[in-house]
Amino acid sequence: MPGKPSFPLDTPVDFVIVGSGSAGGILAKELSTAGFDVVILEQGPYRKAADFRHDELSVIFRDELLGGGTAASGQTFRHDADETAVRPRRQPAQYAQTVGGSSAHFTANFWRFRDIDFRERSALDSIAGTNFADWPITYDELEPYYTKVDWEIGVSGAPGPNDARRSKPFPLPPMPVKSSGVLMERGAKELGLTCQPEPHAILSQPFNGRAACINCGYCMFFGCEVGAKSSTLAAMIPLAEASGRCEIRAECAAYRVETDANGRASEVLYYDPDGNQRGQKAKAVILSANGVETPRLLLMSASARHPDGLANSSGFVGRNLMFNAHSVANGVFEEPLNDYKGVQVTRIIHDFYDADPARGFYGGGGLDARPLWSATPILHALEGMPPDVPSWGAAFKDEIAHNFTRQMSIVGSTTSLAQDRNNVTLDPESRDRWGRPAARITYRDHDDDLAMATFLQDHGMALLDAAGATKAWRRPVEPGTNSAHLLGTCRMGDDPATSVVNRDHRSHDVPNLFLCDGSSFVTSGRGQPTMTIMALAFRAADRIKAAAAANAI
Amino acid sequence: MSHQNTCTRRGFMGGAAATGAGAFLRLGAPALAAITQAACGARDDGNAFAVLGADAARDLAAMAARILPTTDTPGASEAGVIHFIDQALGDAMADSLPFVLEQLEALDASVGGRFAALDAAAQDAALAGIEDGPFFSLVYMMTIFGFFSMSRYGGNRDHVGWKLIGFDGHHGAWQYPFGYYDAEAQRGDVDAG
Repeated sequence: MPGKPSFPLDTPVDFVIVGSGSAGGILAKELSTAGFDVVILEQGPYRKAADFRHDELSVIFRDELLGGGTAASGQTFRHDADETAVRPRRQPAQYAQTVGGSSAHFTANFWRFRDIDFRERSALDSIAGTNFADWPITYDELEPYYTKVDWEIGVSGAPGPNDARRSKPFPLPPMPVKSSGVLMERGAKELGLTCQPEPHAILSQPFNGRAACINCGYCMFFGCEVGAKSSTLAAMIPLAEASGRCEIRAECAAYRVETDANGRASEVLYYDPDGNQRGQKAKAVILSANGVETPRLLLMSASARHPDGLANSSGFVGRNLMFNAHSVANGVFEEPLNDYKGVQVTRIIHDFYDADPARGFYGGGGLDARPLWSATPILHALEGMPPDVPSWGAAFKDEIAHNFTRQMSIVGSTTSLAQDRNNVTLDPESRDRWGRPAARITYRDHDDDLAMATFLQDHGMALLDAAGATKAWRRPVEPGTNSAHLLGTCRMGDDPATSVVNRDHRSHDVPNLFLCDGSSFVTSGRGQPTMTIMALAFRAADRIKAAAAANAI
Repeated sequence: MSHQNTCTRRGFMGGAAATGAGAFLRLGAPALAAITQAACGARDDGNAFAVLGADAARDLAAMAARILPTTDTPGASEAGVIHFIDQALGDAMADSLPFVLEQLEALDASVGGRFAALDAAAQDAALAGIEDGPFFSLVYMMTIFGFFSMSRYGGNRDHVGWKLIGFDGHHGAWQYPFGYYDAEAQRGDVDAG
C-alpha cells in the first residue's frame, strides 16, 4: 500500500473535496483511484469503527457525532422569514461531523428513487407557490449508478412488488424480519396492503472483506463499531487512501472558496485543527458538504464579483430546502418484541408511493415498522410514552418498564415540496465555534406535505390496530423543526436561471466548481435520500472523469 | 456492615440523621441499604460528591426518587442517580449548577424546610407545583439520564435502569429471533402474510 500523501498547499492539487460523507467519500474514492490527486477537507474528526460507542447519552443527547450541537454550530431556526431565528436545543440540520459524514451515523434505510421522482412535475402539474420541477436526468440515466452503489458499498435487500426496475440483483439478502416487521405484515394483510423487505446499506453477510451486521441495535444516530454499515467510512475511504492519492485532512473547516481573475475556483480556505487559517490551491473544487453546509460555504464565499455568494447568479443557492416530512404512530403489544435488537426497519409499505389526486393534496410516501423510541432507553423514557401516562412517578416508571420491550412505531415519510420560503441563509448574529457565520434555517412544511404525513399516520394507526396492538397513540403532525434530510439547496437543472448546477453537477457560474450532495436534488423523493446521493456521486465522478479526459475542466 | 452504617450516618446520610431521616427511612430498608451502599461505594472509590453539598444532594436525590420512585421495583435511589447528577453538574452541565442551587433554596423556602425532610406525599405535592417549570424539567432530564445512561456517568448502578425495562444493552451482539412475534413467524406457527 502506498504511503499517505501530503500535498503542498501552494501547488494546485487536482481536486479539493469539501466533505467526506455520502457524496464526498465516493467522489474521493472514484477520483483518487482513477489517478487524480485529491485533498478532502472534513470538519469532523477521523473516527474509526472502533471509536464508535454505544453511549446513548453522548451520541443522542450530547450530539457527540454532530460536533456538539447548536452550542458549537450556532445554527438558528425559524419557521417564517418575519421571525428572528433562535438557537434551539435540538440542532435544526442534523448531520454528523466525522470522516464518512452522515453515512457513518444514518439508520441505513436505503430506497432507490423511482421513475416518477424525476419527472413528477410533468406527470402532474405545477403547484402554485412552489418550485416543483422535473430533474434534468431520468431514472434510466441513474439506474446504472444505483446498481454501482449496491455492489460497491454492499446493500442488503430483496425486490419488492413496487420497486423500480433494477439491472442487477441485490448483492446481499435482506436482513431477517423482526417482530415489528411481522406485526406490520399482519396488519397489512388484514388491510389489503403490501409489505416488502427493507433494503439496507448494512451487510447481512460478509462482503468485500467486511464483517456482517452483529444485530447490536445501534444503527440510528450511532456509528457502526464493526463496519457493517456501508458508510463511506467503511466502504470507500479505505479504497481512496489505498490509492496513495487521497489525503484526508480531518478537523479542517472550510470557510471560503476563492476564485481567480478568470472567475475559476482556485483555492479553498480553511481552519486547520489548531485554528490556523490555511489555503489549499486546487485545479478544481468539489463541494459535498451536505444540503446545508454546501450552500452556506457558497454564501460565505461572496466577493465583489459574486456579491450574493459564489455560483449564485440564479439566486437559488440555499433555496428550496426540503426535509421530508415525517409522522409516527406508536403501539404496544401483549408480548415482548425486543425490537431494540438488530437494524431499525425490516418491513416497509410502498403502496402510497405515488401521488393520488383523489386524496385532495399532492404527495407520496412510505411506511416502515421500527422500534424508534424503544430502540434505546433514554429516548424511550423521554419521547416514547403514551400521552395519557403521567410524566413522572410510579405510574410513569411502570409504563416505561412494561412498554420498552413491547413497543414499536410505524413511521411515515413523505415528499417535501420545494419552496422559496424554505432556505439556508447566513445568520446575521450567530457564529459557529470556528467563528464562521452560522447557518440560519427557515422552514415551514407545505400544507400538502403535512397532509400526506397525516394520511400515512392514519394508515399507521390502522395497521397497529389490525396487528393487534393493546394500545396505540399518536401526536398531531406539526411543521418540522429539524431534519437529517437536507435536500434541494443547490438544485441541478439545464436552465442557469433556475438552477445552480447542470446535470453533471458543474456550477453554471464557475466552470471548475462542482457541487454534489443532497443539495443537488430537484425533488425530495419519498423519504430516504442517501441511496440517491450516493448514486449521484458515482455518476458525477464519471462525468468529471470524462471532462478531465477531454481537458474540459 | 458496620462500616456501611458508619458511612451512612456520618457521610451521605449524616445531615439527615441529625435533622430527621424520615424521608429516607420511608423509602424502606432495601432502598436505604441501596443508597447507603451506593454512597459508600462512591466514597470508597474516592468518588466523593464533586460539586454538591450534603443538603443539595439530599434534596436532589429526593426529587429524583419521586420522579422514579422505589416501589416493588428499584428507582432512582437504587440506581444512584444522585451521583450522575453530581457528576453532570460538575462537568457537562456545569453551567446549570448555580441555577440548580438557587432553585433548591427556593424549593426549600417554599416548603418551609428541607424538601428532603418531607414525606413522599408532601414531596409529590411540592413537585406538582413546579413540574411545568425549567428547574423541574432539568432535574427530570438528569434523573432519566442518570437512570438509563452508561454506569460510567455515575448512575444506572449495576444496570438497575436497564434491567428494570428488560434492556440488555451492555451486550453487543444478538441472534435472531429477538422477540415473541418473529420467533412465532420463524417457527411457522402463524402465517405472517
